Amino acid sequence: MKKFVALLLAVVMVAGMTACGAKKAASASDSDMAYVKEKGKLVVGITDFAPMDYQENGQWVGFDADMAKAFAESLGVECQFVEINWDTKAMELDSKNIDCVWNGMTLTNEVTSSMACSNAYCNNAQVIVVPADVAGQYADAESCKDLTFAVEAGSAGEAAVAELGYNYISVADQASALMEVSSGTSDAAVIDLLMAGAMIGEGTSYANLTHTAELTAEEYGVGFRKGSDLAAALNEFFAAAYADGSMAACAKTYGVQDALIAQ
Amino acid sequence: MAMLEVSHMEKRFGNTEVLKDISFSLEKGQSLAIIGSSGSGKTTLLRSLNFLETPDAGTITVDGQLLLDAAVRTKASDKEIRKKRLRFGLVFQNFNLFPQYTALENVMLASQLLAKERPDYRQNRREILEQIRTRGVELLTQVGLQDRLDNYPHQLSGGQQQRVAIARALALDPDILCFDEPTSALDPELTGEVLKVIRSLAERNMTMIIVTHEMAFARDVADQIIFMDGGVIVEQGPARQVIEHPVQERTRRFLSRYQGQS
Amino acid sequence: MFQTVLNALNQGFLLTLALFLVTLAGALPLGLLVSFGSMSRFRPLRYVMRTIVWIFRGSPLLLQLFIIFYVPGELDHNIWAFSSGRFWAAATAFILNYACYFSEIYRGGIESIPRGQDEAGLVLGMTKQQIFFKVKFMQLVRRIVPPISNEIITLVKDTSLANSIALAEVIWAGKKFMKSDGLVWPLFFTILYYLAFTGLLTLFFGWLEKKLSYYSV
Repeated sequence: MKKFVALLLAVVMVAGMTACGAKKAASASDSDMAYVKEKGKLVVGITDFAPMDYQENGQWVGFDADMAKAFAESLGVECQFVEINWDTKAMELDSKNIDCVWNGMTLTNEVTSSMACSNAYCNNAQVIVVPADVAGQYADAESCKDLTFAVEAGSAGEAAVAELGYNYISVADQASALMEVSSGTSDAAVIDLLMAGAMIGEGTSYANLTHTAELTAEEYGVGFRKGSDLAAALNEFFAAAYADGSMAACAKTYGVQDALIAQ
Repeated sequence: MAMLEVSHMEKRFGNTEVLKDISFSLEKGQSLAIIGSSGSGKTTLLRSLNFLETPDAGTITVDGQLLLDAAVRTKASDKEIRKKRLRFGLVFQNFNLFPQYTALENVMLASQLLAKERPDYRQNRREILEQIRTRGVELLTQVGLQDRLDNYPHQLSGGQQQRVAIARALALDPDILCFDEPTSALDPELTGEVLKVIRSLAERNMTMIIVTHEMAFARDVADQIIFMDGGVIVEQGPARQVIEHPVQERTRRFLSRYQGQS
Repeated sequence: MFQTVLNALNQGFLLTLALFLVTLAGALPLGLLVSFGSMSRFRPLRYVMRTIVWIFRGSPLLLQLFIIFYVPGELDHNIWAFSSGRFWAAATAFILNYACYFSEIYRGGIESIPRGQDEAGLVLGMTKQQIFFKVKFMQLVRRIVPPISNEIITLVKDTSLANSIALAEVIWAGKKFMKSDGLVWPLFFTILYYLAFTGLLTLFFGWLEKKLSYYSV
């Protein structure tokens, strides 16, 4: 009995170690496109982020989601959406749990240095969000310098506030940042313009909030694993979709046509 | 022929010699009391007979069958040791009853487990278990606990627990029943009921080895007495003679000290 | 809207429940094997097992989740690339972590059973397995129910850590409404699920302890 247990434990451990330790010959040189085609599906990492990726009747829709589906179709593979934690997106890519991040991702230095990115396809800005009743006092960035900001950890908004040297705390996501302002635990938030358009103001749960000054202008792109040949393929796909007007049509469906960047 | 023969048994714990050249024999149906101060090696001797300790030298023979020869170093299989163990029963100083079982379950457990090894167990399961139960009730009746069958150990007094332990040891029909200071953990007013049970076993000619501090009891119940001191047998002989007319000076000193105390 | 939220939270809670049950089903027996290993008389095995226990008890579960889910893929060996991979990665981390916690509770329990119980079993001709399962096991259960029930209630709450690798358990389901509909209350509402579940467990363990107290050890 005791010997059996000892043996069993030894086997489990050795198996565990080989599983972790054995490193397959590097496939960095292999084509990422070939890898995706071979497994027959493109796994797209997203978060719930209207109007780019959001759920309707159990299906993922949105400007990004629809374009991702079209791109996967052009590759002849299935498109699978997986919700991820935004702050571990690079790990999700590297560990091949997803194949790309396609979720209104701002092309920051951090993003472009850790992923192979497509060309920019959408304009965006980081905007300040404050309660509507005090919006008059905080029309520009300078007037906000004594406020405490809530920003999404690792977001472009966080970078913008840090650059200004303002007081801020980092929260898990943009929605949490809005909640901070709404509940008064922070004075203001900095979030994406596109998201602000969809989530605050009249007719939303945050009717008491409004957005004021734009801090930085920025652009959205799609991220792939470092060295992936899929980024170039997506650029070609974008160019074609822009040329035949299908990209603009899709943008119009979700109200982001003004932000679209020519390919 | 002697029921039990122990010859030249030795046991060391590290550098301490606990048993030195122990030899004695015991006739069938006789009882042997082992007396001596604590640390004299008497408990180790008893534990060696029950294979709880492995002697470094010597042999144990039961009913003509050599059970242990310490010189033969081939390791016996667990199964063989279990079989040899069953020639002996052991009643502990602290009872060591199984707390989650009732008195009757304590007595039946080992028999039930052994019965599973019988080839006809599947076939005659019902009858076998019924027999074991009948035997268990009989044994508990024999120790005067017929109305305590379904009590858990913690619901019994120390004396009652020790009587259950005796019934439990008897359930496997050992050739030789050993007692390791069976009344030392009991309040004085409870020792009587346990001694009475042991006495009745002696009257039924159960072969027994009793390590005890109850000198009067040893004298009255045992046929033979061994006095141990410092790991050796100092004196052995008929019970009455050893207690009342010890030959050795060490025995005399021990007995007088004992009588002085009690 | 309330119905929609409730459906989503129920869905999330099912995953919480599944993770909880799978963890218990794996960790309770595995912990016993680990405790045997850490009490083994074979020294190398004992040292290895105690080191493993130290690693899993001595580092944050959150980190273990990240390592177990992401490191295989980083080493180009993604073992979680199947549809419920996240769930099984989380379950693996939880099982290993909790098995180590349980093993120490088992070890304490086993070592606290008097040696006399073994000896009584031995002289009655029982095998070591029989002694463990027929004599000591119930005494062990009796001793470990209080500490184990503590750990199990902690486990209910720890399952929420799995949302760090994007497992859509109940808190994740609640948070989603913040992003999609700007609703905050669904997240706070999830507390009722935890309270109901831990409440039931508390009642259950209270009943079990009482049930087991028919004898005293």
